[in-house]
Amino acid sequence: MIVGKVTKEQLLTVYKTKNICLEGNILKLIDPEDDVEFAEYLKACSERDKENRRKRLEITKRIQTQNTELTSAQEQNEKLMQELQASLDEMEVSKAQIECQNKELLEWKEENEKMDEELREALRVAENAKIAAESDLDLMQKRTQFELINNIVKVALYIILGVGAVTTGMFIFAMAIGYDTTIISSAWSNMFGILLTNSFSIVGTIMGVKYASEKGNS
Amino acid sequence: MIESILLVDDEDLFHLVFEDACSLLDITLSLEAINSADEAEKRFKKWFETGDIADKPKCVFVDLNIIGSSFDGIELIRRINFMYGNHVVIGIISSSNEAEEQAKAVQAGAQFWIIKSDDIEPRLEEFRKDYSAYESRTASFKVYK
Repeated sequence: MIVGKVTKEQLLTVYKTKNICLEGNILKLIDPEDDVEFAEYLKACSERDKENRRKRLEITKRIQTQNTELTSAQEQNEKLMQELQASLDEMEVSKAQIECQNKELLEWKEENEKMDEELREALRVAENAKIAAESDLDLMQKRTQFELINNIVKVALYIILGVGAVTTGMFIFAMAIGYDTTIISSAWSNMFGILLTNSFSIVGTIMGVKYASEKGNS
Repeated sequence: MIESILLVDDEDLFHLVFEDACSLLDITLSLEAINSADEAEKRFKKWFETGDIADKPKCVFVDLNIIGSSFDGIELIRRINFMYGNHVVIGIISSSNEAEEQAKAVQAGAQFWIIKSDDIEPRLEEFRKDYSAYESRTASFKVYK
């Protein structure tokens, strides 16, 4: 590529007065021909361009390295964020599960309390039933005892009355026909005394048993 | 010097690095960088269909994973080679060094694989030396580590 004389002069003037150079690959295409000054100018421009490119290359490489590191750090951050998010999600799920379990436990507790109350009520009813049964049993036992005592007392009274009647009859019969009543009278009086004593003893026993039973019931 | 280069890479910062490295190493005078495999395919399709290849690059560097594109770099190379007529020196420029991917790239017609790193200039320098062999299709697939 050939540059005209006027252009060459203009380029050289700009370089000398304002220190502005041509740059880029265009420098590699320009032929300075035999113009030594312009050749020097192109050489200077080329060196400056190379220097600038070298600097830019170094800076770009540094930025590229930093960029790679930043990208890597960002990827790690994103990974961490994803892990955190996953943990958070798991926590949310666990929280929901715990809340659900808590609710179930509360319901279970309420049911237990209800059952406990029912059990207590049942226990109370059972206790009452037991007391009632024991009372009934006691009553039945006493009733049986009273019947037994009643029978014994009746039999005893019949025997006493029977013996008394027989002895009295024999004593009256002996007096009526004129037999000696010495022995039988003493026997009758003794017998009658014994019978009376036993009768009072039996009545006293009955009264005692009755009193003791009434006291036990109260 | 390579007449013209097309870089297909989603990383804009690497565009600057590649451009400055190519300029400092005098690899090319004309470099264009785009960040989409779809856009690259569109251009190759147009060059293939219209026959107007004035602005068609002589060499194409393709990133392996081009974020935001419908397909990856290997698929782009396969399409350029088998659907749009080839006629360019084409290969992968990637930070990956997986043999499996490299084998796929070879099958797709890639001629080289440059490992992308901070110190890319020595690899580009080496590539420049091998470029004429790639252009004449006499060089075998090479990985620049």
